[in-house]
Amino acid sequence: MRILIAGLFFALFMACSSGNKSEDQALVDALDNTEMGDQAISGEVSEILHRIPSPLEISVLLKQSGKKYNGAFLNSPDNLSRYNTNYKRALNLGIYGTDLGYTNIYEQSQDGIKYMSTIKDLANELNIGQFFEMETIARLVSNSNNLDSLLLITTQNFNAINHYLQSQNRSHLSVLFLTGGWLEALHITCEVAKSNPDNAQLKEAIGGQKIILENIMHLLSFYKDNDKNMASLLAEMEGLKQSFDKVIITSVYKPSTFQVVDGVMIIKDNSSSTVEITQGDIDNIRTSTQNIRTKIIS
Amino acid sequence: MSEEILKALTQLFAIITKQDGGVTDNERLYVIHFFQTELDHDRVIEYVKLYDQFSGYGKDEADGRSRLTSVKDSVKTLGICKKINQTLTQKQKVVVLIKLFELVGSGSNFSSQRKDLINTVSTVFNLDQSEYSAIEKFVISKDPVALDLKEILFVDDNSVSPGAFCRHVHAQIKGTLIFLRVRSVEMYFTKYVGSEANMLNGFIMESNKVYLFTHGSSIKTQAGDALYYSDMVAHFNDQLKTTRLSFNAVLGEVKFPSGYFGLRDICISEGPGKLIGIMGASGAGKSTLLNVLAGLIEPTEGEIRINGFDLHKERDRIHGVIGYVSQDDLLIEELTVYQNLYYNAKLCFANLSEPELQQRVVDVLHNLGLDQRKELRVGSTLHKTISGGQRKRLNIALELIREPAILFLDEPTSGLSSRDSENVIDLLKELSLKGKLIFVVIHQPSSDIYKMFDKMIIMDAGGNPAYYGPPVDAITYFKKSTHQVDSNRGQCQSCGDVNPEQIFNIMEARVVDEYGQPTSRRKVSPQQWYELYKERFKVNLVPDIKEQPPRTLHLPNKLRQTVIFTLRDTLAKLSNKQYLLINLAEAPLLALILAFIIKYKSAPGEREYLFRYNENFPAFILMSIIVALFMGLSVSAEEIIRDRKILKRESFLHLSWNSYLLSKLIILFTLSAIQTFSFVLISHLILEIEWKMLIPFWFVLFTLSCMANVMGLNISSAFRSAVTVYVMIPLFLIPQMILSGLLFRYEKLNGLISTKGKVPLVADLMASRWGYEALAVYHFKNNSYEIPFYDLDKVIAQANFRSTFLADELDKRLKFIEDHLNEPDDSIRQIMEKNLALIREIAQYDVYNEGPPGMKTSANGTLAAYTPQLISKIEMHLDGYKKRYQDIYNQAVNGREELMALKESDDDSGYDVTLYKNRFYNESLADILTNVSEKNRIIEYEGKLVQQVDPIFLDPKPAHAFDYRAHFFAPQKNLLGTLVSTYWFNILVIWIMTLLLYGTLYSELLKKMVSSLALGNGILRKRK
Repeated sequence: MRILIAGLFFALFMACSSGNKSEDQALVDALDNTEMGDQAISGEVSEILHRIPSPLEISVLLKQSGKKYNGAFLNSPDNLSRYNTNYKRALNLGIYGTDLGYTNIYEQSQDGIKYMSTIKDLANELNIGQFFEMETIARLVSNSNNLDSLLLITTQNFNAINHYLQSQNRSHLSVLFLTGGWLEALHITCEVAKSNPDNAQLKEAIGGQKIILENIMHLLSFYKDNDKNMASLLAEMEGLKQSFDKVIITSVYKPSTFQVVDGVMIIKDNSSSTVEITQGDIDNIRTSTQNIRTKIIS
Repeated sequence: MSEEILKALTQLFAIITKQDGGVTDNERLYVIHFFQTELDHDRVIEYVKLYDQFSGYGKDEADGRSRLTSVKDSVKTLGICKKINQTLTQKQKVVVLIKLFELVGSGSNFSSQRKDLINTVSTVFNLDQSEYSAIEKFVISKDPVALDLKEILFVDDNSVSPGAFCRHVHAQIKGTLIFLRVRSVEMYFTKYVGSEANMLNGFIMESNKVYLFTHGSSIKTQAGDALYYSDMVAHFNDQLKTTRLSFNAVLGEVKFPSGYFGLRDICISEGPGKLIGIMGASGAGKSTLLNVLAGLIEPTEGEIRINGFDLHKERDRIHGVIGYVSQDDLLIEELTVYQNLYYNAKLCFANLSEPELQQRVVDVLHNLGLDQRKELRVGSTLHKTISGGQRKRLNIALELIREPAILFLDEPTSGLSSRDSENVIDLLKELSLKGKLIFVVIHQPSSDIYKMFDKMIIMDAGGNPAYYGPPVDAITYFKKSTHQVDSNRGQCQSCGDVNPEQIFNIMEARVVDEYGQPTSRRKVSPQQWYELYKERFKVNLVPDIKEQPPRTLHLPNKLRQTVIFTLRDTLAKLSNKQYLLINLAEAPLLALILAFIIKYKSAPGEREYLFRYNENFPAFILMSIIVALFMGLSVSAEEIIRDRKILKRESFLHLSWNSYLLSKLIILFTLSAIQTFSFVLISHLILEIEWKMLIPFWFVLFTLSCMANVMGLNISSAFRSAVTVYVMIPLFLIPQMILSGLLFRYEKLNGLISTKGKVPLVADLMASRWGYEALAVYHFKNNSYEIPFYDLDKVIAQANFRSTFLADELDKRLKFIEDHLNEPDDSIRQIMEKNLALIREIAQYDVYNEGPPGMKTSANGTLAAYTPQLISKIEMHLDGYKKRYQDIYNQAVNGREELMALKESDDDSGYDVTLYKNRFYNESLADILTNVSEKNRIIEYEGKLVQQVDPIFLDPKPAHAFDYRAHFFAPQKNLLGTLVSTYWFNILVIWIMTLLLYGTLYSELLKKMVSSLALGNGILRKRK
């Protein structure tokens, strides 16, 4: 009997001690063909990324438009289970980030928490979970009444992520992340504008995105050779760009003036830009945006 | 005797006596005398009249007619005898025959006609011819030479036997005492020829009168010699003479661990063929004495020798010689009468073939009158299917079947009717006559039973022996010792009854106070009785017979024992429907409850159930483990306790403990396999866990259940009551839950037990932790979604950790050195040294060793040798290190995406990432296994940098070949220098635990610990 047991254990032992490579070796083996061209473009990307304003800044406009909160505009957190590639994760992380901002502007804490946990899940899967520690999130929630600090924290956070991704040679994620966020902001703005056709400020804001779109497309173009997904995204953006073609932005530069208010000197920027955009343009933009977005979130 | 029979007898007497010259006065007197013993005065006259009428007493008869009458009488005799045949037992018929001879003998007219008639009677009574003639010679003949027969025993003061065949005993007696044995009915008759006034049971024996010599009878000669029934029987018994057996117990004190006296010195010495009774007030130590004699309790002083072999020291030599029937039922209640006996026999007689064995069982059942009941289940005492007497007989049968030479019985008659009691003692008597030595503790025996014993040991309170000798003499001894009237008479003059209660009345008589109320003080204290005993009873030891005692035991080999035990237990369990139902239904029911309750619409948005988002899955794994442990434990916890009595009985057989335990394991493991399988099946069906997890999950739960089985057996063997055992279960289970690793994180335990980056040692003792880890890791690594990506994910996780957290951490530490390079403060230099050591270790052992030449050696340098140049070199190295792992990371991520795209693009496989992930992957489990909620991804602990995240992607770094320890959820473990999968490693650990527990079970370690603890606390109470 004892021999039998001993035999059993031996067999067990043999069964489980089959081929083991050292973990470090496996790591190195994974690097069989090093041909990443990321470093070269990294610097330029970084520069452009910094020029693009946070999508949240658009959201502020929305609140000022006086429209009520509408959760239907947003990408439902329930869709999370569909995002299984880093490409989609990064895009949707951006989308959810904007959605989170939107919910917070309207002080929708419950929805906000949902978006946060969704964002955290996505971030974990992208290995950038460290930027979404519970504390940061808790701070975001408790600050939801304070728009400025929310913007500040979120911006800081997203900046930190961008910076990190670039430092880790993962700037393509950063680009996707930004694209998603921007696209969602544009989408929401278009939706709001739809029900609010007379708001010139909104229209102008939409038209103003033309410049940002060009920047984003420029960013995407860096990756089109290496990344099929990004290449196809760029192609879609091309369609959106056409919708923006008729929008004309003219900038008028005036020198800045100094003014003393209550004994404090303030610099006043007198430059302005005018955006010419028709309702038809807005409709086109909205449709194109929706098309791209639908593909991304599904 | 019924009137009818008496009438028939009267007729019979009349017919015989009227032959050949009619009734003589002597004969008539004899008949009248006979009537007087049977009837009251008035009725005697009536019957004498009847007798006279039948015999024609007082009428003259012509001689010539006698022959004719004789034929007619013969026919009449036949008729009467047939009538008698239907009513009287064989023993009674023998008595009738003796009476007839005596009747005829009294008239000294033993004509052939009379003889013919008696012959007819004996033929009708179916008496053996040789016995018939022996009886005839014994009653009629006065010549010793004519009595030279096997059935005859002479007792006289001659030193030589009067004949060649007859038996002879020398005694101080004038004249001759003749004994006749009627073998077919095992009856003894005696008569005395001579002039002395010898006493039979305290009454004078008339010369030439035939007396029935019954159990417990004794004859005392005038010279003072005593002849006891048992001795006389021994002289007749040839078997006894061939049985070589000596039993010598010279006992000093027997002390209980509590310090109580169990027994004082007593010496018991017996040969074969004795039925010894042990009596005493309750608490007098009867059972203790029996247990000591049987070797169940080792005496503090003294020794017991069977055929010269020490009972305790030379157990092997006298193995199987002793049989013990305890007071309790030692039956397996679920089995039938036949099965109980059959499996017992199977364990005793490996040498018998199957038919022989069955025949033996049937024979024993027949002998004990149990053959009608053999197919009945024994049943518990509450649900009786057989009577108490039958149970008792079956208990005895279990011992009898192997025919031990020495048999001990503890109160075999308790709770039995007087008839059943008598049957049992009859049976024992019969056995003793076959040469067995039998010790019986008996309580309040009836007169008949009391007299059947060959010797009686009477115990007084406190284990003091008070008497050791023939039972009837006990009464006279106690009477004499207290100077009572009529102290010579032990039994009633007219009926021959003895009253054993008398003994205790005398022994325990109390002093009365001035009001005549008994006080608590005894007239004669146990100590005094003991002094008297020491004075009065000097036991001569039977010479030790220097040969192996007779034995019939042939134990089967260990494997066969295991098989028999297993079969027996399986049958018992199968026939216990309740047990089966509960144990088989328990697991699926629990699975149903558990799985049903924790299945919810888990998908985001609560639309449907998705396995991926079932947050209860990790808890489910833990619950499964607890269920497996609990079922394993509860099913086994009572096993040994329930069998304890049977084990006690079988301890005399010296059966293999290992075989017994193995049989338990076979049954329990089978049951556990079924239970865990049904649990896993049902719960997996409900929770929609993929099929490929079924067997791996089952095997872990089965392993755990087996471990719990052995654990349960340990507990079961250590404690005495089932209640204690069930109280023990939480004590075992709750630590298993606490330290399972799911409920309480190992990092967040008391600092005394917690270690960072390794599972605490105390948790390593918990089977639940190994099981949980095995299941969690196995599920995560091998679910259909993760399995193609696991290796890549591992690379990604490691590369990410190194490039992000480790590199930064090292950088930080290098900066610290750089900033404090010229710092003289010792405490700061210490920190620098430590930091340097950490950097050095990484630089040294990481696969990445590129960078500026001399890097490795520079990191090796001492702190004193550090210059800013050197530091910048190291910085460069770290930079390269970081870059390297960034590249690896990016590449692995790309590879993963490509692989996923590739799999999805293959339309035939039907692969869909989302679908697979939803069905096979579990987010909650993954969160736990990647430790996402951990804030501190890297910490310093005891001079090492410990990775706190992604344990499932981190292989342990064993310090040496035997370093089994790893962090929780490590994907692989070190086994003697090779890394093996956690699943198998953990299963191996649990089996090793099981094996160790089997070792403690086999050596009864826990039992010894418990009893030594109990001793220390003085909890062990005095045994009954």
